[in-house]
Amino acid sequence: MQGIEILLEQVEFISIAIIVLLLAYLALEHRDIVYAVFFFGLMAAAVGGFFLLLEAPFIAGMQIAVYTGGISALIIFGVLLLPRAQDSSLEVFESPRRRAWGMALSVIVATFSAFLALLFPWYEAFPEGAPELSQSLQGLAAWLWADHGIYVQMIALIIFTSIIGSVTMLKMEKAERLSAITGEFGVEAEPGPDTGIEEKEEEVDEQ
Amino acid sequence: MIGMGAYGMMVKRNLIRILLGAEIMGNGVNIALVAVSLYSPVFTFTGQALIILIIAVATGHTAIAMVLMLMYNRRYHTVDLGRPIKEVEENE
Repeated sequence: MQGIEILLEQVEFISIAIIVLLLAYLALEHRDIVYAVFFFGLMAAAVGGFFLLLEAPFIAGMQIAVYTGGISALIIFGVLLLPRAQDSSLEVFESPRRRAWGMALSVIVATFSAFLALLFPWYEAFPEGAPELSQSLQGLAAWLWADHGIYVQMIALIIFTSIIGSVTMLKMEKAERLSAITGEFGVEAEPGPDTGIEEKEEEVDEQ
Repeated sequence: MIGMGAYGMMVKRNLIRILLGAEIMGNGVNIALVAVSLYSPVFTFTGQALIILIIAVATGHTAIAMVLMLMYNRRYHTVDLGRPIKEVEENE
């Protein structure tokens, strides 16, 4: 009976691995970038299956919520804001030498990571005698919030800072483009080809 | 997955494909970390908590990457990573 369960787990693992690799390939190679992002979202959902197999259901839920629901939607918004991203002529570098170097480096990275995963003695890397915890969602919650709450707050702070930083970067760039008109940010008011000063002056004259 | 992500990051020149490659690579690393934490003779939540941290930081770095792409697009009027490199090589 146990042999059948192990066999079923192996079948599940191989099926999910094939699906994930196929979807990752489509996310990188599909001609239409919007479909590519959809395939990435599906791949992220399939990766949640790996986490379920690895007995980490909370991570699986978080993976699907954040990657499939959040990051994929964010990238799709980015694609909508960047119409030139659809240009399929921008796929790979024209130089075959650069492509060959890229392929060689990616093969080296894949080989090294496979070596680490399969041959590195992971059992010896862990200290013995650590307190044993029950493998449950309650245990994870207690570990996170009771014992290491400060790190969770640091994560929240990192996300908050990055979102505020993103908005600020965009706003600052817009403000710098308008600075020639408003005279703020210490920039001299010099009319440029695309500053829009002439249009602004015409509007003022009309008024 | 890590190798495929590395391929996307090193061979593609469309910035969104490069970001997708980075995310695929990050997913591969997440799976490896959870698997390694499960290999531990004494189960702890360190691996899973680390993945939660990584997923949260991934959200932030994707937001920053999207903003950088928008700024790049405004400056160069393209999302082609090869164009500024080509311009630099031509100037040299």
